[in-house]
Amino acid sequence: MLLFPASQFSNLFSALFSHYRRHPLQLLALALMIMLATMLWTGVNHLTTQARASLGQSEQAVAARSQLERVDGQALTVADFVTLRRAGLCVMPWLEVESPGQGGRLVGVDPLAAGCFEQTGLDAVNESLEPSKKPEPAWTPMLNGEPFIDISEAAALAQNVASRNVSLSLLIVPPEPASALPADYRMTGFSLGPDTGELGDSFLLNLDALGFLVLLITALLLRSVYQLGMAQRRDSFALLQRFGVMPSAINRVLLVEILLLALLSVVPGVWLGRLLAGTVSGGFGQALDSLFDTPLYAGQSQSWLTPTATMMAIVLVVCLAQNVRALLLRTVAVWPLASLAKLLTGADAGTEFRQKPWPWLALLLAVAGLAMALLAQSLPLVFFAVALVFAATGIAAPFAIAALSATLARKTREPLARWRHTELGVMARRLALPLVALQFALAMVLAVQALVTVFEATFDEWLGQRLAADYFIEVPAGANADAAAQWLAAQPELAQSGDWHQVASGVAQLPATANDPTTANPKMDRKAQSVDLLAVGPVSPLLTMWSLQAANDQPWQGFAAGEGVMVNEQLARRYPLAVGDTLALTLANTRFELPVLAIYADYGRPAGEVLINLELLPDEFVPAFESFSISPGASDIALISDGLQRLWQVDSVRVRDNKRIRELADAVFDQTFLLTRAMTFVTLVLAAIALLIMGWVFFSIRAWYFRLLQVWGLTKRQVLAQLGQLALTLTLSITLLALPLGVWLTWVLVHRINPLAFGWSLPMAIYPGFWLQLGVVSVLIGLSITLLMRSQLGGSGPKPVSAASLRGDER
Amino acid sequence: MTEPLLKVRGLGKHFASAGQTVNVLSGLELTLAAGGSLALMGRSGSGKSTLLNILCGLEQPDAGFVSVAGEHLAADSSASGPNQQRWARLRRQRIGVVFQEANLMPALSLLDNVRLRARLAGHSDQHCGDWLKRLGIGELAQRYPDQVSGGQRQRAALAMVFAMRPSLILADEPTGSLDARTALEVADELFYQQAASGCALILATHDSTLAARCGQRLDLAQMGA
Repeated sequence: MLLFPASQFSNLFSALFSHYRRHPLQLLALALMIMLATMLWTGVNHLTTQARASLGQSEQAVAARSQLERVDGQALTVADFVTLRRAGLCVMPWLEVESPGQGGRLVGVDPLAAGCFEQTGLDAVNESLEPSKKPEPAWTPMLNGEPFIDISEAAALAQNVASRNVSLSLLIVPPEPASALPADYRMTGFSLGPDTGELGDSFLLNLDALGFLVLLITALLLRSVYQLGMAQRRDSFALLQRFGVMPSAINRVLLVEILLLALLSVVPGVWLGRLLAGTVSGGFGQALDSLFDTPLYAGQSQSWLTPTATMMAIVLVVCLAQNVRALLLRTVAVWPLASLAKLLTGADAGTEFRQKPWPWLALLLAVAGLAMALLAQSLPLVFFAVALVFAATGIAAPFAIAALSATLARKTREPLARWRHTELGVMARRLALPLVALQFALAMVLAVQALVTVFEATFDEWLGQRLAADYFIEVPAGANADAAAQWLAAQPELAQSGDWHQVASGVAQLPATANDPTTANPKMDRKAQSVDLLAVGPVSPLLTMWSLQAANDQPWQGFAAGEGVMVNEQLARRYPLAVGDTLALTLANTRFELPVLAIYADYGRPAGEVLINLELLPDEFVPAFESFSISPGASDIALISDGLQRLWQVDSVRVRDNKRIRELADAVFDQTFLLTRAMTFVTLVLAAIALLIMGWVFFSIRAWYFRLLQVWGLTKRQVLAQLGQLALTLTLSITLLALPLGVWLTWVLVHRINPLAFGWSLPMAIYPGFWLQLGVVSVLIGLSITLLMRSQLGGSGPKPVSAASLRGDER
Repeated sequence: MTEPLLKVRGLGKHFASAGQTVNVLSGLELTLAAGGSLALMGRSGSGKSTLLNILCGLEQPDAGFVSVAGEHLAADSSASGPNQQRWARLRRQRIGVVFQEANLMPALSLLDNVRLRARLAGHSDQHCGDWLKRLGIGELAQRYPDQVSGGQRQRAALAMVFAMRPSLILADEPTGSLDARTALEVADELFYQQAASGCALILATHDSTLAARCGQRLDLAQMGA
């Protein structure tokens, strides 16, 4: 690679590197930027890779498998396993345990027992079989801790872990005939949750997008710091060229320099990123588990090579963009390709910035991005639209500030104000990259904050709806729920001061319909589908407090009288249905046609759901699950549970304390967004520090002109006031420009990305109070720049700068 | 008897360098009448720029005192407060400073630079264009500093100074970065306008021909400063 002797290279390297010996803080800033960018991106990427692999593993491992439960509701033990194996059934224990230290969950399996799960038939034979009769898919677990380990190891680990972090399941190959299953057991599907793939993928997609945004912001900051160094070194490059050093030789030395710097910064960055992921994986895993019923399994890590190579490539491209641009321009020398390449590969914030194509390019990108965000029907396209709009605002923001300042300068008659306005324009152009990075960071923080706050409020309402009762009592298998309802109705204290209702859940079938002119959506075809059925009664205040999105005049009265059903938002959107439509549904071979009385908020539940009065359930309908929601009021829940225990003649009744669950849920939810908030906060701090450094360096370069004002008769305090005004105007301007971008991003997240990813939409809310907080942050950044500059102004008498500094790009 | 415009008595200034104290100025005495001119000579580092900075109140002396148009600056003067505000007003209204280069705000046109200086001095900016014309660069009024030559920039700097109608001009090697012919033209303008406006001039220079055109001469190197 080196076309000149090593000693010459060494001399040249030493000469060029002397810049950083003179400015060690700049070198430190560069290294820190690379390291932090690597850390943030690696951290997020590590977590999402781990989570995505977990989803894949769990789907592959448990696809179409069944598990066993005890009919009496007791927990499974080793004795159950032994009994079932002795009965000749193919069962396998599945022991999940929290991984000590590194976060995530390990799965203990018995490889010998897993043997009977292996595929026995040939694919050709499989194809000819009914789906239900196909043999289980082949599966041989690798016991390498990613996430599978031998069950004996898992059992040993389980002894040192809290029992709530351990769960034992028994997987089974359905026996032929079904009657071979002992009477004490029943078979259920082994699934880690409904539609986890779609939801989990969407969640991870959002995290990926956030990671990408962080990467973009840090790349901008990195470029700005590097560009600053290059600008300061231009005179040195020119001098070396006068001494006969070829520009290509200088470029090679610069390449080696940035390669070394990148390598020295990226490797610890990757290490820190993995450390960060390890630290937050506990909370992240809990969030994944609670939100999507998908545990975060241990060991799904990627190698060091991918993040290292990715970040090295990004650093090289970002820092050597000028060289890449020159190469691209040489390659596509034919117009208009050359012009396009020149436009796309960017230019210095100097004279080229003022060229006319920039505003037009920004406008074009903005229009394309906005239209695409509005019309796109797939997530990747919406994300692409977001990227277009961000690119457009990134180009437009410094230009807008510069144009506004130029207009103000033209309009004002006061020379000092005119100077200030023109100086603001210079700053906007010279600090374009860190400014844009700050704008992006502010917009991202604003959108994430709005989304998280709305999410929290919605989640709170959801908890309020689902956990409205103080207690929840599960009806044991075989117990008579109707008798219990009669007993509860006969309790005078409960009737006077408490509320309760019975719940029976199961499945309802909705038929396909085509072009039904009686519906609110006559042109929509409806597909046949199974939906969750929730039968409730009697109608208590615990139900009437539910939030209804649309309803007829007296929905709950009609519901209590059995005159109709209610559907959740998800079913209303997908089927589709509106209030007043007639819903045909089949419950255990009985067909109903009932009007839709109301649509209730489901707060993100992905499955369709029908709420029906319990009294309408046909006798032959067998509920999958039955329970009572009870707020005992003046009576004692212990007395109620004792009464039900006696009535049902069982050893114990499972009573769930909803208040406690709510506290736990709140805590888990807080952890869910800890990562998001932490990342956005770190990015904002990074952007603020970068602008601070860049602003300080920029003002240092222009300190002479501020001192000139002192020479012309302004006191130091007056000069400082001018400087403060400039810094504050700049930071507040970019904050103001970040607000619409942030609000738009919130809109995209709420109204486009969420419905496309999750199938439901949150209410859109904006928080002007938070805008004020961001305003305060920008004021603090501006004031910090001013305070830093105070020391520059306090130096000795003014000294003229060199003639070389009077270049055109200074204005 | 008329009070001199500038009076310097027992002026001293030292700097600390590499652990040693370097006396740049020591016991300096100087008097300049209104309308007079003085050439400051001396090697690089002899204290010419430091003296000019002290004379316009940008630096504090370590000993002695300076009086300009009745305003006193002594070694024990406060670095801030009313004294500094008085000196800032003097610089704004009565003392014009011209450096070797970089006298103009790069983001403003030549005309706007002159206007800014005139307005800071409390004058109307109506005749600022005339000053540019008088100095031969009227047609460049809307150009920016980076769009004109070094000589034209120095003419604009002179226009700025004269537009503020000063009592005293402190010029720190104003032709030092220009070629011989341009330097001569700029110097001619400086002396012509100084004579026409009746202000005093202190000119720091290495050029003995230029120094010879001043009424007084002070060689800091010979003073042993």
